[in-house]
Amino acid sequence: MLGKGDHHQPQEEEEDTGGVVKLISAEGFEFVIDKKAAMVSNTLRNMLTSPGGFSETRQGEVRFPEIPTHILEKICQYFYWSLHYSSGKETAEFPIEPEITLELMMAANYLDT
Amino acid sequence: MNNQKKRASARIEPFRHRVETDPKFFDKSWRKLHDAIREIYKQNASGLSFEELYRTAYNMVLHKFGSKLYEKLTENLKEHLEEMRASVEAAQGGLFLEELQRKWDDHNKALSMIRDILMYMDRTYIPTNHKTAVFDLGLELWRDTIVRFPMIQGRLLDTLLELIHRERTGEVINRCLMRSSTKMLMDLGSSVYQDDFERPFLEVSASFYSGESQQFIECCACGEYLKQAERRLSEESERVSQYMDVKTNEKITAVVVKEMLANHMQRLILMENSGLVNMLVEDKYEDLSRMYTLFNHVPDGLTTIRNVMMSHIKDTGKSLVTDPERLRDPVDFVQRLLNEKDKYDNIINVSFNNDKSFLNALNSSFEHFINLNTRSPEFISLFVDDKLRKGVKEANEDDLETVLDKVMMLFRYLQEKDLFEKYYKQHLAKRLLSGKAASDDSERSMLVKLKTECGYQFTSKLEGMFTDLKTSEDTTQGFYASATSLDLVDAPTISVQILTTGSWPTQPCNTCNLPPEIIAVSEKFRAYYLGTHNGRRLTWQTNMGHADIKATFGNGSKHELNVSTYQMCVLMLFNSSDALTYREIEQSTAIPAADLKRCLQSLALVKGKQVLRKEPMSRDIADDDSFCVNDKFTSKLFKVKIGTVVAQKETDPEKLETRQRVEEDRKPQIEAAIVRIMKSRRVLDHNSIMTEVTKQLQPRFLPNPVVIKKRIESLIEREFLERDKTDRKMYRYLA
Repeated sequence: MLGKGDHHQPQEEEEDTGGVVKLISAEGFEFVIDKKAAMVSNTLRNMLTSPGGFSETRQGEVRFPEIPTHILEKICQYFYWSLHYSSGKETAEFPIEPEITLELMMAANYLDT
Repeated sequence: MNNQKKRASARIEPFRHRVETDPKFFDKSWRKLHDAIREIYKQNASGLSFEELYRTAYNMVLHKFGSKLYEKLTENLKEHLEEMRASVEAAQGGLFLEELQRKWDDHNKALSMIRDILMYMDRTYIPTNHKTAVFDLGLELWRDTIVRFPMIQGRLLDTLLELIHRERTGEVINRCLMRSSTKMLMDLGSSVYQDDFERPFLEVSASFYSGESQQFIECCACGEYLKQAERRLSEESERVSQYMDVKTNEKITAVVVKEMLANHMQRLILMENSGLVNMLVEDKYEDLSRMYTLFNHVPDGLTTIRNVMMSHIKDTGKSLVTDPERLRDPVDFVQRLLNEKDKYDNIINVSFNNDKSFLNALNSSFEHFINLNTRSPEFISLFVDDKLRKGVKEANEDDLETVLDKVMMLFRYLQEKDLFEKYYKQHLAKRLLSGKAASDDSERSMLVKLKTECGYQFTSKLEGMFTDLKTSEDTTQGFYASATSLDLVDAPTISVQILTTGSWPTQPCNTCNLPPEIIAVSEKFRAYYLGTHNGRRLTWQTNMGHADIKATFGNGSKHELNVSTYQMCVLMLFNSSDALTYREIEQSTAIPAADLKRCLQSLALVKGKQVLRKEPMSRDIADDDSFCVNDKFTSKLFKVKIGTVVAQKETDPEKLETRQRVEEDRKPQIEAAIVRIMKSRRVLDHNSIMTEVTKQLQPRFLPNPVVIKKRIESLIEREFLERDKTDRKMYRYLA
């Protein structure tokens, strides 16, 4: 799964199983990631677990009209990185290019990550 | 909203400028949320995009519209709740709770969705501005708009209390609904639960149980009533566990206990014919244990029970020990005491959880009433005497041990332990000398018990008695071993018990004239004994011995008679003469009159054992009565035991004498105690001496203050002590 988020892959196969969720960027790129990874974001967690039956929960896809593709990609990378290293047993640098820092931080604030 | 365009224009702050410039931004955004919230309340959220709503709220907060959004939200929620309230109010009768519940569920569900959408506000705006979080805001609004709305508040409470009342009177109610209703109140905060439900609930319960208990107590017996109370208590507990907050349990229990038990405690416990006393008398273990557990909840409850029990034991005990009927049979007397003790031990064990304080109360009650009768020490000793005499005949040694252990318990209650010692010594002496001690082991185990209880001093003389017997046996054997050369073949066999003076109870030495055959052999023994032990004196205690004699009667029947020494002396006289008058017998034997009369009575007047015939056949013995051998004597047995003088309770003058002797013995003990105390303290005031002496002597007896005072005076006279010259209350130790 990690590999899928690594590259720009416009169309991933649509799987609506409980295990994955589709994140769609402002430009329409779709990232299919594990729900588990998406849950790193509190916003996404709420979105996916909210009891009301919002459209996101039913369809298993979330559109982010304000997040450009390259940021969303970075975010997905971060989800997996966090999932893997947040336990603190092993550490590794999470590389962030300086030019996207601001946008990334705004997105992080938005996603409560 | 308008993201794509601005992303192209400004990379760094993409949408902020654009939005801020739009004056209708807030209104537009709010409309979106407003509509969404309506959909949510309609439970029609499937068409909504979480992300969109979240983003809208996010942007509003980001652009400093947080407080406005919060206000609008509050307003909006209130509107929704008022709508709900209308429908709840409209619900009829029993549907009211259900409708309220349904709306509450809806509201809860909606609220959690709204909270999720507005999460960004919850996270940033609310903490910095110290507002109530969205979800809690929703609960507060629900509380104020619905639960505390006057029309609903009263109705809700009344409905709940009404349902509980119906359940108490035996109806079945919808417990689920009750549970969710109280749960709702708890969710709104513990203060809501307490103020809006718990407090009135407790008040109503109090009045309910006060009424019910009033009604029960008029018509129920104590046991019945307590059963009822127990049932009610468990019902309430069960009710709380079913649909109330756990913390209410304690409170409602307190209410029931107060109304049903505490308020009627005295009346219940003292209830005639069914109260505590009745339960005790009839050994109603179940009722008693119920009473114990129930009144355990009541402050002072157990104390009251304990006091009533104590006074009951004291009363019955007092009537037992002072009843003149009972005094006739000491063994029965003590047996009754033991039974009483067993009974209460059982009750405390079974019903009162073996409560230490109850055991103490029992002990102090027994101590109190046993000492009411000054003859208790004597009777207890007699009881032991009886048991040790019969011992193995009746029961095996283990049973005997348990009986002795129980007796030791009674012994512990005695204040005049020295008096007991005196009697025990007498009785033991009789047992040992007449060979009636059934089991040496039991005797010794009793001694060990006394020793562990009272120390070496108490039993040293008693042990001396056993040692004497052992050495006597050896001496007698030694006598016969050395006497083979002497002419003892035809003489009667004697067995001598040499008693150390002092170890044995002193008896007035009434020597009598022994038959010549006996005198001969006893003189030989005296010579032997004094020959081996220099400088000793030997006196014959003829009043304590016994003898086996062979008798051939006129009708030819032969018997072996087991008699006392005195009886032997009398019978031997008839070897030389056929008939003798009382006066003749008295002269030739020199037996003291009282003893002689008793001994003649047992020889001539006891049915089936009339070895002698008396003329005239009257009960009393006069000086001129004449006696002759009963030639027609028959008995099924070869060995005939002639009534020996069994240890009996003392006659009044004897009692007085023993008492005096005991008092006399106490004097040196008191003096010794005073001297011991003064030696270590040097100077002490009068009152302290009194308490110290009493404390020191407590294990043996309770000294009389007047006697102590006399002893002090005597010690001053003998210059052991002196009074302080300035303070007359102080004493000084001299020497």
